[in-house]
Amino acid sequence: MAAYLLALRLGRWGIAGYGATAFAVALLQAAGFYQVAGHTAAERQVFGRSMSLLAAQFTVLVPAPIRPDTVGGYVQWRAFGFFAIVFGVWALASAGSAARSDEERGIVPAILAAGKSRPALIASRVGAFATAAMIAALAAGAGLLVGVATGGESISAAATLGQAVALVALAVCCFALTLFIAQLTSARGGTTVAGVILLGLFLLNSLSRTFDGLVRWRWLSPFYYYDQSSPLVPGGRVDARATLTLFAIAAVVAVLAAVAFRFRDIGSPLFSLPVPHRPASYDVSVTPVWRVPVLRDLYDRRAALLVWAAGVAGLGVVSVALTKNIVEPLLAIPGLARYFAAFLNGNLFSSFFDYIWFGFAQLLLAGFAITQVARWTAEDSDGRLELILSNPVSRVRVVIERVVVLALGALIIAGVSGVAVAVEAHYQSIDLDRGRLAEASLLLVPFTLVFGTVGALLASRIPRATVGLLGAFAFASYILEQLGPIFKLPTWVDDLSAFKLYGQPLTTGVDQTGLVIMLAIVAAGLVASAIVMERRDVGA
Amino acid sequence: MAAAAIHTAGLSKDYGLGRGLFELDLQVVQQEVFGFLGPNGAGKSTTIRCLMGLIRPSAGSAHIFGLDCIRDYVAVKRKVGYVPGEMPQFGSLRGSEVVAYLGAMRGGADARAVHSLAERFSLDLSRRYREYSSGNKQKLGIVLAFMHRPPLLILDEPTAGLDPLNQREFYTLVREARDDGATVFLSSHILSEVERACDRVGIIRSGRLVNVADLDELHRIRFHRVEIEFAPDTDPPVPALRAAQGVEDVMVEDRLLTCTVRGSFEPLLDAIRGSTVTNLVSHEPSLEELFLEYYKEDAVKALSD
Repeated sequence: MAAYLLALRLGRWGIAGYGATAFAVALLQAAGFYQVAGHTAAERQVFGRSMSLLAAQFTVLVPAPIRPDTVGGYVQWRAFGFFAIVFGVWALASAGSAARSDEERGIVPAILAAGKSRPALIASRVGAFATAAMIAALAAGAGLLVGVATGGESISAAATLGQAVALVALAVCCFALTLFIAQLTSARGGTTVAGVILLGLFLLNSLSRTFDGLVRWRWLSPFYYYDQSSPLVPGGRVDARATLTLFAIAAVVAVLAAVAFRFRDIGSPLFSLPVPHRPASYDVSVTPVWRVPVLRDLYDRRAALLVWAAGVAGLGVVSVALTKNIVEPLLAIPGLARYFAAFLNGNLFSSFFDYIWFGFAQLLLAGFAITQVARWTAEDSDGRLELILSNPVSRVRVVIERVVVLALGALIIAGVSGVAVAVEAHYQSIDLDRGRLAEASLLLVPFTLVFGTVGALLASRIPRATVGLLGAFAFASYILEQLGPIFKLPTWVDDLSAFKLYGQPLTTGVDQTGLVIMLAIVAAGLVASAIVMERRDVGA
Repeated sequence: MAAAAIHTAGLSKDYGLGRGLFELDLQVVQQEVFGFLGPNGAGKSTTIRCLMGLIRPSAGSAHIFGLDCIRDYVAVKRKVGYVPGEMPQFGSLRGSEVVAYLGAMRGGADARAVHSLAERFSLDLSRRYREYSSGNKQKLGIVLAFMHRPPLLILDEPTAGLDPLNQREFYTLVREARDDGATVFLSSHILSEVERACDRVGIIRSGRLVNVADLDELHRIRFHRVEIEFAPDTDPPVPALRAAQGVEDVMVEDRLLTCTVRGSFEPLLDAIRGSTVTNLVSHEPSLEELFLEYYKEDAVKALSD
């Protein structure tokens, strides 16, 4: 019981963050439905048909909606389809931490030394995550009920509970799979390998909606079983067999994880190759990059930068292809014009690509900024900053170097993805203004720095809460920007979003006011964080 | 006259609830090895972080070679080599890369000095930091602190995690550094450790400096609990032991004798010479026991005055 409670305590910020996100997304999607779907049955039918056509282009991410003309069907598609990804990512991160990170931090050896058996430890971790996922899933359900109530309607509480249980089944299954995979790999590689496998299983299911050849294999994917339930849709139900299958997979894989954990050494994978003997070296590294400020930090995080640049560029290329597939059919649907009028301006290709890709790229770059800020706070908490500051370097220099590294990292990512998008657009015969594409890509750098300097200020003042607060700031900004047009929020409220400052540079050119505000925020954030950093205690 | 290597005046850092550091007046002269002795939580690391300019004092001042530790913290670091109380994480970086990374912040690591130090402590710099044991991490901290031959070394419990052989090597290194002109300020909670390495010792307890003692005074303060087991056909020489200088609290139970020894063991060994001893165990008291004894003496002295 103590290990279970400890696991819950270790995951309390995850529960709070994912629970709040799930609640907010479900609430806003449900409430947003009443803003965009119309009020008469005829209006909603038109809206539903439009959404079905639109959704057909996105089946690589979420399944096609059923009855999107109803609030249940719409939220099932827009929120709970998306939650499969979100809860899968949470399960991956949480299990990776439970399996190996806590081992490196000494938590696992301490628990085992207290007399807890290894299988019992695995069971407590799985149980704690199931509880955490249930709390977050119920929060999503609560958000749905409140959102539906704002429209003067109601939805079955039993159906909402059933949807929450299906979501928990998927999350626990992903958690157990990651837990098992992490027993077989190195501590560092566990989460990455499990992430690749979960992504493969996700794509196996989602691509099987398009490619018939994959249909006979999709039973391997836990996401397939989750898709079988649609209790929020009128006449829908929880597929008990599919949900039980998910729980059964989770149980079997958790047992396998416990067995693997039982037979491996703490700190080592179950199977490892012998390390060849080599003579000891007493020499300092001669790699010249370690001697150059900024460059040494970029070099230190070269693998992560490579993954970010390749990943964002890859998603940019996919977005180009998706845009073409989406826009061409849409041009033939006049009913969608009203829906898109809220978001898009000018040329439909450019506008759509601007909206889809650069909207997503902003989110990715905000995520990149948050990961870098998380690294700064980790340097603080694990004592690395203390050791850096024991050298003759000023604190202002540390802040500036961090921000410059972030700017260069963002520049690399934005530059590579911009080039990849330009090449793919040329290949797809899509006419994108290259000058504006370059401007839009480069504009991602000050945008990233907005989050970076806000993060730098938070990291200088309250390092332990920085990542949570910055994540909440990014999420609130994104939601505000996405839902502002739907809810017809006042302009000044829209302007509070950091995403609004970016504008639509591919369609309308760089918003000079937005750029000046971004640069002002960056300058003010940099100065403020330097001042706060100079005055704060380090290592206290 | 040369500035003191370390000078603090009324240095305080108040964390509330009686925790922190209070009114520390301390002077460490150049080319001295100064031990800073205190139990866990006494304020040793807080003092060191104030000296390193990592935390801002609530009151008072700290100077290193005449430079203000807060205002001139960059200039101070040029003169200081530092071992933190706990080595941080450097993940997958190799030891050689950590040295290059941090050495570059001082304008580059001295390759020969690094090689010499790493070889001396048998620290394989080609291994990844996360593969290092806690002892090896501590060795890397020592390499980083000594590699640029600083005039002042500030070392926070530098032997934590080191095996006895490497501890001995470390104290040799400290003596060599002092002989080369460096000043060393090292904290510890083990009396015998500072006694072995230091010229003077500052004793801190509950955030307040209790005493600054030289080696003679340290010898007077320290004591050992001794258990002696005599052979079955041997009577313990109790009168001789009670009469021996520095031997106190003599208790006998059957063939087992316990006593307290202050200062040298010579009088004790003289007293039991000729008796057949089957076992002799000496325990060094914890710092808390030492402090209790120390304060008891102070109280007795105050009453008798």
